Amino acid sequence: MELKVIENATCTFCGCVCDDIELHADDVRIHQAKKACVLGKSWFLNHTAEKKYPDALIDGQPASLDEAIEVAANHLYEADMPLVYGMSNTTCEAQKECVAMADLLGALLDSHTSL
Amino acid sequence: MLRITGGTIYDPANGINGEVRDLYIADGKFSSKFDAGRTIDATGMVIMPGGVDVHTHVAGGSINFGRARTPEDHRRTHAFIRSKTRRSGLGGMAPTTFATGYLYAGMGWTTVNEAAVPVLSARHTHEELNDIPIVDKSSLVLLANNEIILDLLEEGEDERAKQIMAWYIWAAKSYGVKAVNPGGVASWKYGNDSKHLTSKISGYDHITPGTIVTKYAKMIDELGIPHPLHLHCNNLGAPGNVETTLETMRHLEGSRAHFAHLQYHAYGGDDWGNMRSEAARLAEYFNAHTNMTTDAGAVLFGDTVTITADGPWQHLLYKLTGRKWGNLDVENETGCGIVPYTYRPSNLVNAVQWAVGLELLLLINDPWRVFLSTDHPNGACFWRYPEIIQLLMCADYRNECMANLPLNIKNKISLPEISREYTLYEIATITSAGPARSLGLKHKGNLGIGKDADLVIYHQDKDIARMFGHPRYVFKGGEIVIEEGDIRETPDGKEYLIQPFYEPDIDEFLRPRFEDRYCMSFENYPVEMERIEHAQIQKCTGDDAEDGDSQ
Amino acid sequence: MGGKVTCTLGEVKNRADFIVYWGGNPAECHPRHFTKYTLMQKSKFLPRGRKDRTVVLVDIRETKSAKAADHFLQVRPGKDFELLTILRALIKDQKVSEEQVAETGLSLEVLKDLIEKMKAAKFGVMFFGMGLSMTRGKHMNAAALLTLAAEMNAFTKFVAMPMRGHGNVTGADVIMRWQTGYPFGISLNRGYPRYNPGEFSTVDVLVRGDTDCAFIIGADPGATMPKPAIDHLAKVPTIVLDPHVTHTSRLSRVHITTAPAGIAAPGTGYRMDEVPMPLKPALQSPYPSDEEVVRRIRETIALRPDWMTNQPQMIEAQI
Repeated sequence: MELKVIENATCTFCGCVCDDIELHADDVRIHQAKKACVLGKSWFLNHTAEKKYPDALIDGQPASLDEAIEVAANHLYEADMPLVYGMSNTTCEAQKECVAMADLLGALLDSHTSL
Repeated sequence: MLRITGGTIYDPANGINGEVRDLYIADGKFSSKFDAGRTIDATGMVIMPGGVDVHTHVAGGSINFGRARTPEDHRRTHAFIRSKTRRSGLGGMAPTTFATGYLYAGMGWTTVNEAAVPVLSARHTHEELNDIPIVDKSSLVLLANNEIILDLLEEGEDERAKQIMAWYIWAAKSYGVKAVNPGGVASWKYGNDSKHLTSKISGYDHITPGTIVTKYAKMIDELGIPHPLHLHCNNLGAPGNVETTLETMRHLEGSRAHFAHLQYHAYGGDDWGNMRSEAARLAEYFNAHTNMTTDAGAVLFGDTVTITADGPWQHLLYKLTGRKWGNLDVENETGCGIVPYTYRPSNLVNAVQWAVGLELLLLINDPWRVFLSTDHPNGACFWRYPEIIQLLMCADYRNECMANLPLNIKNKISLPEISREYTLYEIATITSAGPARSLGLKHKGNLGIGKDADLVIYHQDKDIARMFGHPRYVFKGGEIVIEEGDIRETPDGKEYLIQPFYEPDIDEFLRPRFEDRYCMSFENYPVEMERIEHAQIQKCTGDDAEDGDSQ
Repeated sequence: MGGKVTCTLGEVKNRADFIVYWGGNPAECHPRHFTKYTLMQKSKFLPRGRKDRTVVLVDIRETKSAKAADHFLQVRPGKDFELLTILRALIKDQKVSEEQVAETGLSLEVLKDLIEKMKAAKFGVMFFGMGLSMTRGKHMNAAALLTLAAEMNAFTKFVAMPMRGHGNVTGADVIMRWQTGYPFGISLNRGYPRYNPGEFSTVDVLVRGDTDCAFIIGADPGATMPKPAIDHLAKVPTIVLDPHVTHTSRLSRVHITTAPAGIAAPGTGYRMDEVPMPLKPALQSPYPSDEEVVRRIRETIALRPDWMTNQPQMIEAQI
C-alpha cells in the first residue's frame, strides 16, 4: 500500500514543537517520522487510528459517547466547585472550549503550569 | 428594518452638521427606504457614526505579554460577569479580549485597528481578534526592521523588496504596514538603537532609517495599499526628538504617510529637566503638508502599561523607572517591550506629555488629518477616550486641569494660550469619519445610504465625559448592541485584510532566505485563510471595485 | 526590579554566541533543542555555528547534556537561588564573601570567569528547566534567573527563556491570559476571573478537598500528583478526556476516548517561545477530537437552567 506523506508536520510532544517532521502513514498508523527525535518518533509511532479503547467508560464500563457526554455534563453541572485541569496534550482549539466551559460552570481553571 | 427618528445628526463624511434627519436601516446598512419595523425615537439626541480607532494594541503577543506582567491591575479593575450568552472578562490597563469588545462598543466605537503585528505570531493575533466581540477589526504588520527586506534594500534590490513586502502582508492576513523605529529595532538586536534618520543601523552599511521610511512609503503607495505607511518614528519619547520627527516628515514629502501617536515625537529641549512641548512647531509644519495624517497618542494621568515594538525605548524606560520590564525579540522581524507606567500630574515630563497630546489635537487645524488615540494602552487606556473628548470640547475644564500641573511648566507648553473648543462635528470627524477615511474603509465612519449601519446615539449632556462614556444606543451592523449601558448583543465582528499583488515566483526566491533566518517551516508560516473569522478582503488601488466587500 | 527579557528561538539560532542551560537536560528532554535552535545552527552572524558559540550547563549533576557544553558548573542541590543572587551581585562588582560562594559548591574564580564570559558575549541567552523552577525556591529561582538576564542588559544583549515541557502547555497559558487575564490558577466561581496560585492551583485544591468534580484533559495527574491529591480525585466524580485509558481514567467516573492532538486532531499548538504552529494530522481517528467533546459537554450544560442569575453585568471594582 502506498503511504501518505505529510510534510512539515508538527510534533507536540515537548515544548520545542518542531514543525519540520515528515510523516509517512497509512490509514491506521504512522510508519515513519523523519527528522523527529527519539521522543518524537515514539510519540508519532505509538498513536494509531485503531479502535483500541471503548468510545467511553462510565464507572469503568464501556459506554457510548452520547451517554458519557450526558453523564459528564450532569456531574459538572451538579457540582458546587468543579475543576477544569490539564490542557497540555491538546490543541488550542480544545483549550478555548475548556475555558469557555469553565466560564459557564464558574469553575476552577488550571493547567500543568501550576505544578 | 429599523427607523431612527428625530436625532440630530453629525455625519462629516456627508457634510451633515447637526441636522435633524431620520435614518433607515435594512440588512445591516443604511437604507433610503423604510416599509415596516421598529422605530427608535432619538428626539433631542446626538447621532454620530460609530467610532473607528486607527491605532490601538488589543490583540496578539505583545498585549498578551502585557496582561501577563500586570496581574495586580486585573485584580483591582472592573470585571464583567458572565451571563448565559456572554463571556466574562476583565478591563483595566490590558483588558481581556471579550472585555475589549464590550468596552469599545460600550462607548460607541465599532471598528478597531490593531497596529502592531509580528508576522511570525500573526496566527496568535488573529486568534485574539476572533475573540474580540462586536467590533470590526483590521491589523498592521511590523516590517520596518525585517532583516530580509532590509538586506534587499542594502543590496539595492528595491523591486524585490516590494514584492516581499506584499508577500508578508498576505502571509500575515493583514491590512497594511506598520513601521516602528525603522532600523532602530534592528539595531536593538545588537543592544543598540538608531535614533536619527542618518544613524547607522547595526549590521548594515548602506541604508539608514531615512532610506527605510522613504522607500517603504513609496513601496506602499506603489502596491496601492488602502492605508498609507503607518509610522512610529525613530527617537520616540526623547527630549529634542521633534527634529527627528520633522526630518522624517521632510523625507516623506510627496508620499502618503500616517504618523502614529505624534505626541511622543513632539518634544524640545535636550534632557529630561528642560524638556518642552514643540507641538506648535510640529503642527505648523503638519498643517502645511497635506500628504500626512496622524493620531494623537494622547496621555492621561494615571496607571497604565506601555507596550511597543520599540525594544530599545522600553529598555530605557525600564532603566528610568526601575519597574518591571518585559522584552521579546522576534527573529528577523521585530521586537516588543513592556513596562508598567504611571503618568503623574506632578511629574514635569508627564505634564508636558499630557499637554502635548492636547496641543496637537487643538493646533492641527484639519480634523480630517488628526485622530483621537491614546496609543492604547501606552498613553492611557482606550476606555478613557471620553475624558479626552471633554478636554477638547471644554476650554474651562482644560484650564481647571492645568491648575494641577507643576508651576515650572510655564513656557514649556502652549496649551494655556489655546482657546479652541471642538464642536460635535469635529469630534465625529476625529473619532470616526477621519480615521475611517485614512484606513480606506469607505463603508465606515459614514451614515450615507449603503454604508455599514454602525452608529452611536448619545443623550445631550453638559457633562461631556459622561455623555460620551454612556451612549443611549450603539448600533453595530444595524443591530442594537448597547442600550443605556447594557450589553444587548455580542455579534462577531468582521476582519479586514488585503491581498496586494506579488509575482508568484517570490516564494522560491524567499524560501532559502527564510530558512536561513527563521526556525519554523516556510510552508507553515503563512496564516491560513480559514483562520480568519468573517474575513473581508479589501481592494488595493489598481483593482477597480469601489467597495471591496467580497467573500 | 527585573522582569522577563526574552526572544523567539530563531533569535537564538541567529545570534546567541553565549548559551546557558540551567537546571535542564535538553539532550534527553528536548533532544532537538541543540541541533534545531541553539548550538549547532550556522547563521549570518555565527557562520561557524557551534565553534562561534560558548555553551554552559549549570545543574546539580552531570547529565548527558554536559557533554555538549563547553563548561559544566555543578551547583549544590537547593542552592540555585543563592548562586543566581551571587551572580547578580558580581556583575555589578558588589562584594560577595568566600563563605557565601562556597555554599553554592563553586569557587569565586569559576564565577568570575563566567561573569567575564557573559559580559563579553554579543548575545547571551539563559534557558532554564524544571531543575530550577520545580526545586527548592521554585518561582523565586525562576525570578532570580530572569532578573539576572534583565540586569545583564546593562552590559550586553541578554535574554532568558523557560524550557517548557508538556506539549502545548504554552498554548494553555497564552489562551487563558487573553481570555481571563491570568495564565493558570484561576477561579471563575464569582462569574469573573480571579487568580491566586496556592489557593486555586490544582494540587492545593485537591489536597484540601476543595473541589467536588474534576474535569481532566490532556494530563494524567493520577500518575504524577501527590497521593492525597490522587485520593481526592478518586473520591469525587472525575471526568477524563484522553486518547488512552490513563491512570486517571482508571479512578474516574467518566472516561472519553479522544483523537490525539496533532496526530489525528487538527488545530494549533504553541512553542515554548509562544510562537503558534499549525497542527496537521496524519491519521483519521475513530474518536472525536477534544475540541468536539468539550464543546458538546458545554452545550449540554448550557441547556440546563443557569445557576447564576440576577448578577450585575459588571462590577466597577473587585473587593
